[in-house]
Amino acid sequence: MIKGRYDDENLKWIPVLIIAVYLFPFLLKSATFSYKYYLYIFNIAGVYIILTVGLDILSGFTGLMSLGHAAFLAIGAYTSAILVDQIGLPFELSLIITPIIVGICGFVIGFPALRIEGMYLGLTTMGFGFIVKRLIIAFREWTGGAGGLHVSKATFFGYTIRNDWDNYFMIYTFAILAIIIARRIVKSKLGRAFMAIRDSEQAAQASGINLAKYKMMSFFISGMFAGFAGVLFAHTNHFISTDHFDILLSIFFIVMVLVGGVGSIYGAVLGTLFIVLMENMFIPLFEDGMSQFVHLEAGEFQVFIFGLIMLLFIIFQPQGLYGMWLKMRIYWKIFPFNPKKRFT
Amino acid sequence: MSDLQIQNLHMHFSGVRALDDVSFEVNEGEIFSLIGPNGSGKSTLFNCINGFCKPQQGSMIYNNINLKTIKPHEIVKEGISRTFQNLQNVPYMTLLENVLLGAHRRLTIQDTINRWFSQKEREREEALALEIMDFLGIANFEKKYLSGQPYGIQKLVEIARALICKPKLILMDEPAAGMNDQETLEIAKIISEIRDVLGITVLVVEHDMKLVMSISDQICVLDSGKILAMGKPDEVKNDPDVIKVFLGDEAHA
Amino acid sequence: MKKMTVMISILLLFIACGKQAPTPGVTDTEILIGNIQDLSGPMKELGAVLPAGSNLYFQYINEQGGVHGRQIKMIVEDHQYNPQKAVVAAKKLIEKDQVFCLYHVIGTSTCEAIRPILAETKTPLIAPATQSGTMSDLSRTAGDLIFHTDTGYDKQTNILIDYILNNDSNAKIGLIYQDDDYGENVLKGAGEAESRHSISVQKEAFQRGATDFTGQVGNLIKGSATHVIIAGVVKEPIIVMKTASAMGFSPQFFGTSPTMDHRVALAAGPAGEGFIAANFADLWNSDASEAVHYRELCDKYEVPEAYMGMYHFYGYITAKVLVEGLERAGKNPTRNRLINGMETLKKWDSGAFPPITYNSNDHAGTESVILVQIKDGVQTVITDWID
Ligand SMILES: Nc1ncnc2c1ncn2[C@@H]1O[C@H](COP(=O)(O)OP(=O)(O)OP(=O)(O)O)[C@@H](O)[C@H]1O
Ligand SMILES: [Mg+2]
Repeated sequence: MIKGRYDDENLKWIPVLIIAVYLFPFLLKSATFSYKYYLYIFNIAGVYIILTVGLDILSGFTGLMSLGHAAFLAIGAYTSAILVDQIGLPFELSLIITPIIVGICGFVIGFPALRIEGMYLGLTTMGFGFIVKRLIIAFREWTGGAGGLHVSKATFFGYTIRNDWDNYFMIYTFAILAIIIARRIVKSKLGRAFMAIRDSEQAAQASGINLAKYKMMSFFISGMFAGFAGVLFAHTNHFISTDHFDILLSIFFIVMVLVGGVGSIYGAVLGTLFIVLMENMFIPLFEDGMSQFVHLEAGEFQVFIFGLIMLLFIIFQPQGLYGMWLKMRIYWKIFPFNPKKRFT
Repeated sequence: MSDLQIQNLHMHFSGVRALDDVSFEVNEGEIFSLIGPNGSGKSTLFNCINGFCKPQQGSMIYNNINLKTIKPHEIVKEGISRTFQNLQNVPYMTLLENVLLGAHRRLTIQDTINRWFSQKEREREEALALEIMDFLGIANFEKKYLSGQPYGIQKLVEIARALICKPKLILMDEPAAGMNDQETLEIAKIISEIRDVLGITVLVVEHDMKLVMSISDQICVLDSGKILAMGKPDEVKNDPDVIKVFLGDEAHA
Repeated sequence: MKKMTVMISILLLFIACGKQAPTPGVTDTEILIGNIQDLSGPMKELGAVLPAGSNLYFQYINEQGGVHGRQIKMIVEDHQYNPQKAVVAAKKLIEKDQVFCLYHVIGTSTCEAIRPILAETKTPLIAPATQSGTMSDLSRTAGDLIFHTDTGYDKQTNILIDYILNNDSNAKIGLIYQDDDYGENVLKGAGEAESRHSISVQKEAFQRGATDFTGQVGNLIKGSATHVIIAGVVKEPIIVMKTASAMGFSPQFFGTSPTMDHRVALAAGPAGEGFIAANFADLWNSDASEAVHYRELCDKYEVPEAYMGMYHFYGYITAKVLVEGLERAGKNPTRNRLINGMETLKKWDSGAFPPITYNSNDHAGTESVILVQIKDGVQTVITDWID
């Protein structure tokens, strides 16, 4: 009776999918000359997946809005760049230390979350993003200021990760690892506590869950994922600057989680892939196709398509960003009906 | 021996006197019922015991522990768990996970980590929940998501969640509300069994008079935050004040 | 059997991948150039005008028969002033569109971001559209592949301070700078000048987007500055000079090249009278030989009035530098030959930029500016090239 309880997770196709992820570059290489360009886009998506999976734990599962995740990514990227290039730590060590540092930052940012909620928390984390940007500029001896910082290539146990091809395998190995860990987290006591906090703080407390502790924990875990993504970002892009990590990126992360479906790890993965590929590949592709028929100023079409996506969101989410947050909080309560409304 | 002692409890919300000098004792192994018209302060009393509300005056002692100074999430550690009047559970978790939520305190970090790597551990953890769910007759649904399940089942899930942490005292806020007659009978049976089989003291708020009269050892009647009557079911049933309040109530309805 | 054919065809594809065209972006009839601009970000006005200026010159050259018989074709990508997007765009241009070289990519952080890909693919970048002195730093990644045409901010600041001290050896110099990469580059120049002249410059920072400068101006009054250099863009010199005049403070104001904008003269009014800005190229409406030619071509190709101006001219004149490099790369251009060709430029007169010199130790191109003063509300060139 107990056996096969995890059938619903459909574990069987996961190994197939993982093999497909590793075979993909070879397929791509045989299909197109410009495989490196496409790989790079997938690499961006891979790094972002690690981050959005963590963001989903915070915003999707725990119901705590964050508009500061670009800043967490920035802290991760800069910390690792400084640890490896200036202090001389090995890359492998930075992969462990940096996420912990960023996790601690998340922990600290989590303090306001104990008192404020929703959009206000969003605004607070957004403010945090601006502060981080200014701090990076202020510590210019370490960070190179606003001019940015060139970062060394990753060396992994003596093997240098040289190009997009190598990057792909490193990034996706870690992304798969991140997804597995995230799944484990949300399917454990921790994940249950997070969801209980999201859906009913009372039930959570009555079950013995310390709200403060677990909210902070959620921020810590989310920060760790972002920090991990930051390390990979820095050492695969080889250049970081404050212009990378603006508020728009934070909003995009939220959109990725939202598009994929809040509160589902696989949703975050799909949403991230969708948005990154859309932005960098499909829209330019459409653009090229369209320009044969109508004259478009370059850039116009992208604005149009993103406008359209946003419009669709606004139609289904008329309250915009606030609605996005609301949606996160009540999504599960109205799906497929709202028990509260029906029974009280 | 008295288990839970409430003395001179006062709780008011900016002018509204939800509880006004409430005192009673619940003995170990009792089924103690709280009844009273809407807004008489029954849920507020639970919230006080539970730590959600901080009473302005009075004392609440449970097994020599002062409940007033304990944080809401620590109450369960002292052996008190509860269910809610409005469903308070997580729609997008399976029934099993919702029940396991209640085992939060029982599962250590070590358990959690073991569970990551070992199928056996996972099964052991689930066996905990399944035992309780079996007891309540909902074990067959364990893999279903809670969202979309019938109301009756969701109510039982909440009871299961309150039971899995092995409490010594359970607070049940209107367990039979919104249920049909047959389900109400079921609930009556379950409440008796919780006491008889699991040996848990029960403090229950309920509107269904038939149910209350049939299972209670003691009944306390609240009206506008004040205790109107207290005693065995027969005594309370024949109390003129109680009849007045309840008949008046029914006449209105 | 079927399996075999599939295997073999896949194998063939792999082999096909191994072979690359000898020189990307060059066919018998065409040379493909990649450009990355901000088409939909904060600087999108420039994004339209700069490539239009370049294309004006390419059109002229193509009509003359192109470079060694090859027509120049330019693909413009968008980076929205975001370094990540700049890398995506650069990879697309280099890996997918297979351009011969990159040209006129705008922005400092965006150009910095694409250094690794330039180095990896050995793709030259001609005339990045930024005045950051870091562009000609040969010690940086891909430094050998980047040919800078504009005089860097650090150099400009040096020249301005020299100019001030030449005219008034007792000058007390103040500096208002933007607290970002632009300002950092200006500070570097100021630092160099300070140690050369053993003076100290009073430095006042402002945040990008600031609109209130009373604090900075107040500090400069306290420090009794006689000459003030404003390292801002367009809005900042206007506000600073108006604030100063309202506070009864009238030093001689100077500005770095982004302040050399006719809007400063228009909006600052009497407060801006006498303002001196450095510029790294001749004015589009001046008598410089290429400026005259530019206006003729504008007439000929009916360029819209709205496009004509310093930015359009900037695109135009950098295109001339690129074309000169392509000419010198010879009949069978490769990326290496382009680099070698560029490095043969010696005091080459473009007709609008200061004389340009490149060699393997110097990719800065120019190190001089002209000074442009607002006289009776009109921008007037007051010096020759100075350095
Ligand atoms: N958090 C609160 N803030 C303000 N007033 C409250 C609060 N909680 C309860 N009250 C008030 O206290 C009184 C008692 O409410 P309570 O919910 O305890 O009633 P109840 O006996 O549980 O009623 P019901 O049978 O409807 O559940 C009501 O007048 C209610 O409005
Ligand atoms: Mg109630």
